Amino acid sequence: MRPALVFALFLCLLLALEGTLFVDGLRRRKAEAATLAQLAVVTSALGLTDLAVATEARYTRHPAVSDPMAPFMDHPGAIEHFPTGAFWLPPPR
Amino acid sequence: MAQKKLEKQLNILDYALSSLWRRRMKSLSLLLVFAAVIFLLASFQLVTQALSDKAKQVLAYTPEITLQKMSVGRQEAIPLAYRERLGGIFGIRRVVPRIWGYYFDEVRLANYTVMGMEVGEMPEGARLDTALASGAMPGPGPEEQGKVVIGQSIKKALALEGRTTFSLFRPDLSLKAFEVSGEFSRDTDILTNDLMVMNLAEARDLFALPAGMVTDLCVYVANPKEIDTIARKISEALPAVRVLTRPQIQKTYQVVFGWRSGFGSICLLAALAAFVILAWDKASGLSPEERREIAILKVLGWETSDILAVRFWESVLVSGLACILGMTAAYIHVVYFAASLFRPVLMGWSVLRPELYLVPRLEAGDILLILAFTVIPYLAATVIPAWRSATVPADSALGG
Repeated sequence: MRPALVFALFLCLLLALEGTLFVDGLRRRKAEAATLAQLAVVTSALGLTDLAVATEARYTRHPAVSDPMAPFMDHPGAIEHFPTGAFWLPPPR
Repeated sequence: MAQKKLEKQLNILDYALSSLWRRRMKSLSLLLVFAAVIFLLASFQLVTQALSDKAKQVLAYTPEITLQKMSVGRQEAIPLAYRERLGGIFGIRRVVPRIWGYYFDEVRLANYTVMGMEVGEMPEGARLDTALASGAMPGPGPEEQGKVVIGQSIKKALALEGRTTFSLFRPDLSLKAFEVSGEFSRDTDILTNDLMVMNLAEARDLFALPAGMVTDLCVYVANPKEIDTIARKISEALPAVRVLTRPQIQKTYQVVFGWRSGFGSICLLAALAAFVILAWDKASGLSPEERREIAILKVLGWETSDILAVRFWESVLVSGLACILGMTAAYIHVVYFAASLFRPVLMGWSVLRPELYLVPRLEAGDILLILAFTVIPYLAATVIPAWRSATVPADSALGG
């Protein structure tokens, strides 16, 4: 069997994997859309402003309602020391 | 004619594949490093995009205007009396006071987000029970004293296991007892996992906030097109108040994740450093074995264009395959493993961590961005030295 044909078969295998991921992605997206209504009710009824992903510091828990200066306000010369501060950019004002 | 050209390219592809297979350890290690770099870039892009998308979808329902009082550069309690001062601004439909803050549990080292409000006054407040996994929201009356609705991570942290009561400390270290009246659904974890919702009086008691003070006011307007105008009028009426509008909050989440963040920069710089090393290695010339191979091919009658085609195919195969493998691995990492490699940075020292269900969109723009950073520089870095070498006379390359 010529090498190009072996490679083409390998590509077909990868394509099948991608297809499976795509179909599963569509199923997950459908399930996600079903929970969106619940998320909308919670946001609206509680007046939420932020995602609850990083709960270690108040400025990464609620970046939308925090000052860009908040990480440095604890004491004079304070440095930003929480790991999540490396992932989340300060909000624009 | 076309079939002949196709057959020629297939033969060159066969030769390129055989050539890669002959140097399989080198090719495989290059492929793996290349795929790992693409995996890192693509994972970061997919995680940040999925979180931004989620924020965009859900924060469309955030309060139209949020008011917080600022003093000496910090947020402090806002008097309820400010509500009356907003009464004269035409277009305001409703102002709902709220107390929210953080309770640090020193035993479990966890931060809880506590919210106190009369949910019935909020839009969709009457439907909030439908978003609970069990129980009901506490009402405003005294019979609801101590009732609280908690998120799934708090339930886990408190290790309630069938119990419905727990206690928290007030600022004077006296204990305040709570009874769990409901739990938020796991489906809303990304918003509610660390939430503890109670009525206004209970939150005031827990934080010992003076009567007549709250932490913020949620303002709802009659016409959403007037948000900016009303926000400006509020700023003029209450100069010491920070006015946050819904578009500002939504904008935050479109820019809060990006390549300029510390972690994003590290991902990008690591990828760039890898490619600079690779390009340096390639640009510094071909190995003597490769030069010898090219010379032999030329002696056998191959043209410079054929040798370039072989090198081009080799580069396309390695970089294309690395791109497919890296991006597929990144997708699997984000969707099926909830970006577990990024969690130490994404959530840091957080004790309460939500279950992340991320479903990223893979758009043509993202694929092009990753290709532009990886495949195109690699093609340039490999074909140019091959061309330089292929133009050298065969006898000099063979040492003749």
